[in-house]
Amino acid sequence: MAFFEARNLHKRFGSRVVLENVSLSFEQGQVSGIMGPNGAGKTTCFHVLTGLHKPDRGEIELQGVSIAGLPPQRIARMGVSRSFQIMNLFDDSVVIENVMLALPEFRARRLNVFGGVFDDKALVEAATDILDQVGLAARAWEKATSLSYGERRALEIGVALAARPKILFLDEPTSGLGTEATRRLASLIRQLRERYTIVMIEHDMRFLFDLADRISVIHWGQVIAEGTPAELQANKWVRRSALGEATLA
Amino acid sequence: MTDILPHLLNGLTLGLLFALIALGFTLIVGVMEVINLAHGSLFALGAYFALTVLGAGWFGDTAFGAWWLSLAIETRYVAALLIGPLLAALAGMALELCLRPTYGKAPLYGLLLTFGAALVIEEIIRLGWGTGEQNLQVPAAINGPILVAGFIYSKYKFFAAGFSLVAIVAVWLFLERTPYGAIIKAGAHDSEMVRALGYDLSKLRLLVFGFGAALAGLAGIIMVPIWGLRPHVGIDVVIPAFLIIVIGGIGSFWGAVVAALLVGLAVGITGAYAGAWATMSMYILLIVVVGFRSRGLFGRKSALEN
Amino acid sequence: MISLADIPSRSPVQAYGPVALLALALATAPWWLPAIGLYQYLGVEVAIWMIFALGFNLLFGYAGLHSFGHGAYLGIGAYAFGLFQQNVALSLWGGLGAAILAAGFAGAIVGVFVSHRRGIYYALLTIAFGQVFWFSSMKLYGITGGEDGLLGIPRPPLTFFGLEFDLRSNVALFYLSAIFLLLTVLILWRLVNSPFGRVLQAIRQNETRARFAGYEVWRFKWAAFVISAMFAGLAGGLFSMAQQSAYPDVMSLHQSGLIVMMVLVGGGLVSFWGPVLGVILYFVARDVLGGLTETWLLWYGLMFMAMVMLRPEGVAGMLHLGWKRLRGGEKPAVLAAEKA
Repeated sequence: MAFFEARNLHKRFGSRVVLENVSLSFEQGQVSGIMGPNGAGKTTCFHVLTGLHKPDRGEIELQGVSIAGLPPQRIARMGVSRSFQIMNLFDDSVVIENVMLALPEFRARRLNVFGGVFDDKALVEAATDILDQVGLAARAWEKATSLSYGERRALEIGVALAARPKILFLDEPTSGLGTEATRRLASLIRQLRERYTIVMIEHDMRFLFDLADRISVIHWGQVIAEGTPAELQANKWVRRSALGEATLA
Repeated sequence: MTDILPHLLNGLTLGLLFALIALGFTLIVGVMEVINLAHGSLFALGAYFALTVLGAGWFGDTAFGAWWLSLAIETRYVAALLIGPLLAALAGMALELCLRPTYGKAPLYGLLLTFGAALVIEEIIRLGWGTGEQNLQVPAAINGPILVAGFIYSKYKFFAAGFSLVAIVAVWLFLERTPYGAIIKAGAHDSEMVRALGYDLSKLRLLVFGFGAALAGLAGIIMVPIWGLRPHVGIDVVIPAFLIIVIGGIGSFWGAVVAALLVGLAVGITGAYAGAWATMSMYILLIVVVGFRSRGLFGRKSALEN
Repeated sequence: MISLADIPSRSPVQAYGPVALLALALATAPWWLPAIGLYQYLGVEVAIWMIFALGFNLLFGYAGLHSFGHGAYLGIGAYAFGLFQQNVALSLWGGLGAAILAAGFAGAIVGVFVSHRRGIYYALLTIAFGQVFWFSSMKLYGITGGEDGLLGIPRPPLTFFGLEFDLRSNVALFYLSAIFLLLTVLILWRLVNSPFGRVLQAIRQNETRARFAGYEVWRFKWAAFVISAMFAGLAGGLFSMAQQSAYPDVMSLHQSGLIVMMVLVGGGLVSFWGPVLGVILYFVARDVLGGLTETWLLWYGLMFMAMVMLRPEGVAGMLHLGWKRLRGGEKPAVLAAEKA
């Protein structure tokens, strides 16, 4: 049994079928990629896997425990963490608080109504440690809105990491990043793969083929191909429908 | 069974009147996504303007005033029905200009601004017309009692209900069967498209708000002979309108009409058996409906949820 | 949801300065209030409304939940206090306890209904429940005394570790209210800066993200509602002592709207002290402006409209920006850095 497994997921919005019989499995310690053209259902698939949408049918299991249909907060507490394609931060809070709020030890104190937050050394240290990993430690006490686009992307990942997840879902982490920022992100993910199971949606083929152990291709709400980067490069269907000819040429 | 019939009739007429009140409200919510808490105040303003028109108001002491008062009440009443809403529309347009800085911000700001406007209009009414209860005269033809199926009804109530029905159908035809209606409805869903078609969005909003305010004023003139006219009648009125919109589903025309009839029936029937609690029934109805269907009976997803 | 992005954020600093200032102003109020031509009862009213406003702002400004029916819990507190005195026992602590518990209980029930809702639907449901309570208070003659309300509510003496203080004078009641106000300030200040308070503020900013961080968002919304209702209940209990009566008007939509206006004008959206400033401004408008013109409410309403249009961050936000500009004038380098 795979570490994280989805079987026969169906999801429709009104009359529009968005996911049709989608089965995916992600192995522990690997980087898995999901790719496909715009509107293929990748982000919806993430939303279903992480609990934002309930699947109409199908099963989702984390380490053999069913999580299909659970609300996102429950799934998050079970060790599934994610970033968002459209950035989703606590904009009025300082950078470090964005991370702190996602820490399990902060969550354990959620009903504490009299304790301090920023004078809690353990919390600040844990959060600074996470910020260090994503290269934002120096900007810890600035407002999240003051960060540059690339830094905000990094903070997105930091917030997802702060939950100390068993599995990390990243939705298009390179979207909107320049070459230099993409390169830094690639090296960050290389470090992270030592410790986390990672699943990412990605448009940047070079980036994905470079990092992923296995890749699934989604098109029209279905998984049309699945395999290692090398296998997929040989697959003409993938080349034709999903890759967008130019990227690999 | 026979004794519930008059209460049903009563409830239905009340429902039609509620629908008339909610008409302008739902138009503004649907097109502009603004909850206009000053709707009730525009309602009151329309009625007070009508009062002034009927009594020759500011020209009372002049030769024009004397001539005006010598005209038949019917003529003056029709004039009031036209001029009252028009003046309310002007007030509504002024309010729309004030609302402009809040566009693109959270819906809360529109709510707050119109709440402030309601307070201001109420104070202006106190200044201009005094704080006492006033009476809006109506022509004798639609006044007095009428006997229906052995029960005595007020003739005016039937006139008001019929008037509401006509107004509802007219507004619906306007929205559905005229090019103006098409543009207004487009503005509700896709402001970009309206711009692309070459229409001035800010002018459209101004006119829609004016139109909604005119409907509020019209409702005021029709309603106050039944409910009485006092400066704070606005607050008494905006709450049912508000409840109806939510029960019906924000942005749904027929939702508002159906909800208005439901509320009218609920109030009418409760009034028959537990008179003191009649008004309460509409709040209970709201809590029950919204408790089960968060977007009301016919509601769609709206930006107001954020 | 309100975006505070263009407004200075709440800073997690200590509050000794403002608390000391408030305590000093409160302690000396019975001397300076008459000296500037005002009266002792005003102090009581202001202190009570500040308690109400501060508790309300936990919900409105911090959790971003726009309740438009909060007058109901003030009223429930007032009725509970009065009913306790008339039916149970003549006791200050019992009455205030009953006021807080009754309002908290009502808030807990209503909270269950509203806490799954967002945005305008939240506002609507809170209005509807507020109206239900208001209406009930008018119609349940047997319990509430109908439209006249409960009359002749006594001001029981304060007993504290064997000491007994008479509260029948307005100055004595003022000091009691002032002490409760300071307690409210201290409790709420700790609360909003505690992990619980930070989660509330996170929910205001981004509910979806808060859920993906593992928080049961609706329970926090519920808890914020209950806590805020309890402070309203405390204010209501004191209010019924001040007025020596409890009546339906306290629960009216008008009253609920008033507290929203005060909190917004003061700057509750951006500052802990916003509600305090807002209450002061309202009562200055009522008593000073009201002394000059009958139409003070018109001017207050116009000022409120202007505030919503131009300066939704309120007085507190304006003070903050002014202070920043003042400091920026001395150190232009800082300002430049902030603009960059």
